[in-house]
Amino acid sequence: MKIVFVVAAALALALPAFLDGKQLGIYILAGLAAMVTVGLSLLMGHAGQISLGQASFYAIGAYTAGLLSVHDTPPVLALVAAPAVAATFAAVVGIGVLRLRGHYLAFATLAMQLILLSVLSQSAWAGGAIGLQGIPRFSIGGFELDEDIQYAYLTLAALAVVLLVAHNLVRSRPGRGLRALATSEVAAAASGVPVGRYRLAVFTLSAAFAGLAGGIYAFYLGYLGPGSFPVLLSIEYVVMAVVGGLGTLSGGVVGAVAIVLLVQVLNELGTSPGMPSYAPNVLSYAVYGLLLVVVVLWLPRGIVPALRRGERS
Amino acid sequence: MNDLPAYLVTGLGTGCGYALIGSGLVAVYRVTRVVNFAQGAFAVVGAMCASSFLTALPHGLAEPAAVVVAAIVGLLVGIVALATNPQSALIVTLGLSVFAYAVEVLVWGDQPRSFAGLPGAVTIGDARVQTHYLLIIAVTLPVFAALALFFTRTDTGKALTACASNPYAARVIGIDVRRMGLLAFMIGGALGGLAGVLVTPVQQITFDTDVALIVNGFAAAILGGLTRPAVTLVGGLLLGVTQALVAGYGNAAHQTDIALGLMIAVMIWRAARRPAVETV
Repeated sequence: MKIVFVVAAALALALPAFLDGKQLGIYILAGLAAMVTVGLSLLMGHAGQISLGQASFYAIGAYTAGLLSVHDTPPVLALVAAPAVAATFAAVVGIGVLRLRGHYLAFATLAMQLILLSVLSQSAWAGGAIGLQGIPRFSIGGFELDEDIQYAYLTLAALAVVLLVAHNLVRSRPGRGLRALATSEVAAAASGVPVGRYRLAVFTLSAAFAGLAGGIYAFYLGYLGPGSFPVLLSIEYVVMAVVGGLGTLSGGVVGAVAIVLLVQVLNELGTSPGMPSYAPNVLSYAVYGLLLVVVVLWLPRGIVPALRRGERS
Repeated sequence: MNDLPAYLVTGLGTGCGYALIGSGLVAVYRVTRVVNFAQGAFAVVGAMCASSFLTALPHGLAEPAAVVVAAIVGLLVGIVALATNPQSALIVTLGLSVFAYAVEVLVWGDQPRSFAGLPGAVTIGDARVQTHYLLIIAVTLPVFAALALFFTRTDTGKALTACASNPYAARVIGIDVRRMGLLAFMIGGALGGLAGVLVTPVQQITFDTDVALIVNGFAAAILGGLTRPAVTLVGGLLLGVTQALVAGYGNAAHQTDIALGLMIAVMIWRAARRPAVETV
């Protein structure tokens, strides 16, 4: 497994040098999606909870970074604030919402995102329905990142941080407690795992990951609108997490990269001449839906655990 | 100006739509313990079918035909969803409702659709209200009465209730639990389709309206813990009236926010009161 990991890391490092502008964009989006999915995969796999509102933390991170830097805050501070604000929001909301389980939590997080989108599109300070424009490019101490390849490496660095934090969490004592929590809450509580606190911690951490990804997204695109964070985006993250394999860190990355690439292929196919204008959307809806159903029914543990099992046998 | 009666009527009308969707969720959840995320898609399918059927069929024939189609879609969703355990079924039905987007856009396009309902308007209080709202209420209330009679008075309804309260015991006395589950999905599909057919003349439907519909339907059903149709009706009506009052006296843009906030509050309140019940 270690060799696979080293090869993947080396590939990820070398790849941006060989990509053109459009491909770099895909690389960056895949990296950002992977950051969100790793967090969601932790939440679903280890804390055993479904969030249908993960894109709201992405949106909060993006808006935090965007608003701060539009109002002349140094971009580095704005990017640090993005995960912090998203995590704080998740912690506050989580105190109430995490009393809920399973489908109740799923609907509560979905409702949270609908409320957030509606508030954002009505708030003049957030640019309303039109959105936030003129976000400056990211810069560190006078060095401005104005090329896509620099954002690609920024994304890769952030993804590395996310994976490192998540990896250490899973290996630690709280991580083992969390795994116990996912299998049986009662048993975990009986063994002295502080169930509520751990669950809130994972929820907060997954929000921080999404917030960090959102912050980079804001600087990369330079424009944000409520329309950039639809409910479907939250569902996409669920598809990525489920397809990759819940509760495995590499599963989050593999799922995100696989889905982003797949959607890109479908887009190419859907925009090819002779196809109707709605073809790209129809194709991606169909594939998301089918993937979710097929994976849950026939590959319930996702791609990565299935591959690992194949390796062992 | 006294607008209150008019707001109440429009609120009750939209509330009936939520209650129908909510009761579809309840019908499925009671029997199978599956929270059917595709419930909103049934309403969209029903509404879209009705808009197509109306080009060939007269009113009164097109609408029931659309409800039948929605019931068949419900059956299909049930066949797939019951192939796994109830927890995973939420994700499966989520997948199916996204897949439904593809079919809906392919067949009906991605523009909002609507069709004519009951024409005219009546004066209530000092304001005019579309007569169609009264039709929605007039159809929904008997449907709920019939549901209550069906669950308590007929053999099939009793069998469904038996599966709901103890699937194992139900199987022991010879009830086919899986078939009952599929029947529940068909009823859910029909109720969702009916909601779509009834509400579309006053509210346009797009393929992705299902998210708003399912969330509101869930909010209605949550009041009765997803198992009690009568409480779901009350929940839906309360939700509709609250939204109409907020829109009327406050800011129309905040009507869904307040309804959703209320839903979260109710859920947390219920969870705090009876934590064991909420563990799924």
